[in-house]
Amino acid sequence: MPVKWVLYWQPNQGSTVSTQILNEAAQCAESINGVKEGRWKATLNYYKPMLRDQSNHPDLPRDFLGISLADQPSKYYFIIRSQRIVVEADASIQLIMEKLQSYKSKVSLYFDGFQYQLGDFRLRVGRVVPVHSESIRGIVMEVEYLPISSVEKARKVMEEFVEIWHEALSKRSLSGKFVNTELNFGEFGLGDHYTPQHTGVQYAIVMAHMIATVQPVVRG
Amino acid sequence: MECVVQGIIETQHVEALEILLQGLCGVQRERLRVHELTLKSVPNLGVVSSEVRLLCDLDQQPEPTWTVKHVGGALRGAGADQISVLVRTMIESKVSKNALRMFYSLGYKLDHELLKVGFAFHFQRTAHISVSVSSVNKMPKIHAIDEAVPVTPGMQIVVVTAPATPENYSEVAAAVSSFCEFLAPLVHLSKPFISTGVVPTAAAAAASLMSDGGGTTL
Repeated sequence: MPVKWVLYWQPNQGSTVSTQILNEAAQCAESINGVKEGRWKATLNYYKPMLRDQSNHPDLPRDFLGISLADQPSKYYFIIRSQRIVVEADASIQLIMEKLQSYKSKVSLYFDGFQYQLGDFRLRVGRVVPVHSESIRGIVMEVEYLPISSVEKARKVMEEFVEIWHEALSKRSLSGKFVNTELNFGEFGLGDHYTPQHTGVQYAIVMAHMIATVQPVVRG
Repeated sequence: MECVVQGIIETQHVEALEILLQGLCGVQRERLRVHELTLKSVPNLGVVSSEVRLLCDLDQQPEPTWTVKHVGGALRGAGADQISVLVRTMIESKVSKNALRMFYSLGYKLDHELLKVGFAFHFQRTAHISVSVSSVNKMPKIHAIDEAVPVTPGMQIVVVTAPATPENYSEVAAAVSSFCEFLAPLVHLSKPFISTGVVPTAAAAAASLMSDGGGTTL
């Protein structure tokens, strides 16, 4: 499958993420001749262990998450970032997790937005919102280069595209930028041939950075 | 959900059973070599203690494939007692190869593991029925599948399963039950945990099957 980079919006110090930025990014895609293709959606769940005795904490991961991707509706992906684990499963694994009752999904987030075709690239720009809420928590962008499945072979052309994108977006004077997270897929047991598991890992890393760097505005 | 029955057969009669199944099912048999790991949650994890099975199909190419399976409670009550097969909740999911590592990280420990070696037939007869005949083997050391030895030498287990839904389990159970009657000369099939032993006349039935390649009507 084509190589994909997942970027996230990093606001400048003192700024917040907003729907206006999402709209500007969408308009930017169209301004560089992106053809709108329709909507996309992904869902991410953070799982927390259920403990019978709250005072007794076995050594369990705090960053266990599951994600369903727009491109793979019949699959589900688990990532434990701290352990460098990624697992692909059928969507029915979610029913198994419910039956086990050992972990429950405590926080769920939607990623949704529009998709654009730009020559050999496919771009998805979307907001990050908690389920049952409209308050935007972040913005993500997927950049896919359709002709190449090799992570390394696609690197240069992806970097060039992101440069062009940054340049186009900078004309809109927004307080922040899209950031790509460099990560070592090999640590997760993933190879050079791109797969949906690579996408799952990128989303997990992006969420970790988003939580760490996106701070609410402190009102004096 | 699935319907399940199982029984035991002496290894010496397995070849005859295979001939019978070949005639009944009308499909090619498939080799079965499955490493089954049963994992249990550590103390304190979960609303209740939980168990999950990981099955590694060792015969798949180019590399083994993994499935996660959750077996739930059986149908109970007067209705369930009337049905000669076990009806229980069951959910399966294919998973990538590091699922075991993930469950270990999530607080699951290996409770026991088995290696099942034999063959299976998968066919359609009102329901999608699977029949497996296998020896159940235990490992002297953890994950040492090459050193596995039979749990009960000389005996193999026959398992008949069919997927079902809450809407159709009666029909599926009837289809499984009806199919099992054809196997009765060689193996008694019943709900798991209700052992009926081997069929005392299996030797004669097997001899008959082996002598004319399965052409005799039992």
